[in-house]
Amino acid sequence: MQYYDTGWLAVAFTVLLVFFILFNIFRAGKSTGLYIRRIPGLTAIDEAIGRATEMGRPVLMVPGLGDLNAISIQALKIFAYVTRTAARFSTPIRLCTSVAPVYTVAQEIVRDVYQSEGLIDRYDQDSVQFLSDRQFAFAAAVGGLILREQTAATFFLGEFYAESLIFAETANAIGAIQVAGSTENTQTPFFIAACDYVLIADEFYAASAYLTRQPVLVGSLIGQDWSKLSIMVAIMIGFLSVAVQRNMTTTVHTDDSGVTHQVAAHKTLENETIAYHMFNPRTPPPLATPRQQEQGAAGGGK
Amino acid sequence: MNFGHPNGPALLWGIGTAVVGLLLTYGLSNAPPSWRRPAVTICTFLAGAVYVAYFLWPKAQDRGPHDIPRGFSESVAFWLQDAVPVAGNIANTLSIFLLGLGIYSLMRIHLKRLFGMHKDWFFSGVVIVSMLTMVVAGYWNYYLVKYGPNAAVLSAGPAQWTPLNRFYDILFDGLYQTMDAAMFSIIAFYILSAAYRAFRVRSVEATILLAAALLMMLSLMGPFVQLWNSGVGGHSAFVDNFKIDEIAMWIRKSFQEPGIRALQFGVGLGALAMGLRLWLSLERGGVN
Repeated sequence: MQYYDTGWLAVAFTVLLVFFILFNIFRAGKSTGLYIRRIPGLTAIDEAIGRATEMGRPVLMVPGLGDLNAISIQALKIFAYVTRTAARFSTPIRLCTSVAPVYTVAQEIVRDVYQSEGLIDRYDQDSVQFLSDRQFAFAAAVGGLILREQTAATFFLGEFYAESLIFAETANAIGAIQVAGSTENTQTPFFIAACDYVLIADEFYAASAYLTRQPVLVGSLIGQDWSKLSIMVAIMIGFLSVAVQRNMTTTVHTDDSGVTHQVAAHKTLENETIAYHMFNPRTPPPLATPRQQEQGAAGGGK
Repeated sequence: MNFGHPNGPALLWGIGTAVVGLLLTYGLSNAPPSWRRPAVTICTFLAGAVYVAYFLWPKAQDRGPHDIPRGFSESVAFWLQDAVPVAGNIANTLSIFLLGLGIYSLMRIHLKRLFGMHKDWFFSGVVIVSMLTMVVAGYWNYYLVKYGPNAAVLSAGPAQWTPLNRFYDILFDGLYQTMDAAMFSIIAFYILSAAYRAFRVRSVEATILLAAALLMMLSLMGPFVQLWNSGVGGHSAFVDNFKIDEIAMWIRKSFQEPGIRALQFGVGLGALAMGLRLWLSLERGGVN
């Protein structure tokens, strides 16, 4: 049976990473003594809420523009922690979303938090708001809310794009303490310039493990570290193999469809190296055995 | 209702989906709490399994629209290829239901503020009026352009537009798009104020940032590049490395790109771990 050469190594490597993560989740079991380094952005959460409580002003949370995906869910999990702490001190919260599915999940999570704390009477149905699903209409609405309500602490965590600086600078202008983190690398510098604390890259995903120390989450974090180590090793192997092979002379050339030709002796080219072919699928030849066609279908098989 | 219209079956599908969706919502809302979690877990696992299998299973080569699979492996590949868009459509349908809840939230908050004459009630009125006007004008315009008696003429261009089409155009292109662009433009001022703070020399890190950014900016200024390079170029191959565009390239290739890739590895692994925990329902409840 003919299939595309889809770069089996990339698939196999992904499966290996998945194995590392799952293995460590199950290995972590009930152990609680696993170490996680200090992350200032997460340590600052309590400080920010405390400040809002002292000033009697609301805490603002924005989970970005992303759809309901792993990033938004992670942001909402951090916001659940913020909400829990704010609920205990009767600090008002505002959670603004631009995506309707995120809004509904956020509302459920916030209500659950108040309920689990036995403080459902403090729950304000309007604390979670869907503002607009248009990027700059949402930015304008959040900016207006920050200025009107004079939020004392703001949390911008999730997928942010061009609107990130509008949020951060508006909140900065009123002196709000800001904790931010975006999975978009292009926005992280803006947050670093305008916010007090920034979660960079996978610190954002480490947040729930850091805040709760649940074995499943900490195990997952260790699995991620194993995966990073294996990526480093793979990079080193790739780097060495390419460096060695590029300095070797060859008389064989393999084209993109996998056919080899005898050619004049030359130094190995980049697209002739093993590492290149492992990650770059070759163009497949036409089907050796054409497929049959459904009855009534016009034209023949390929 | 003319179901023989090209969009007829789509309309039927829409109505059918809405009915099924409402029934499912009602069923889940009234199901015993002990059933809900397993139901959500199973649905999540099955939906995720389609995508996981699609990623892992070899793709069938050169599939035509009427091809019959040649064996078990290819049958599975065909099935997965067909199943992925269906799973995506189900997710989209769910999103539409949730959009209704979002709009309900928006209306509730602003109507309450408007009728209660709370602070800034006037702006709530503007939001509601704007939204309703846009919805009515948008759908009316869509109907006229797509299905109206002069649909073909209206689609041809603005010369034949009716007052309603022009009204919609003023709302969308004249107001909404312009205000959108204005908001985007404001970023230029915010970048300036953020850059001013970022470039203040307060620590070693800030100084390094300032120096790197300064070199990058200077490397993009043609006359300055010319001046700098004429000063250092042409003496020796080694000194040529200190041309400003070479330095900028070195910063980009040796620090910026590897740094960004390392961050991307971290973000990708974090998303993978989070996705796995969600798919296998290992991620439960809020942060305790």
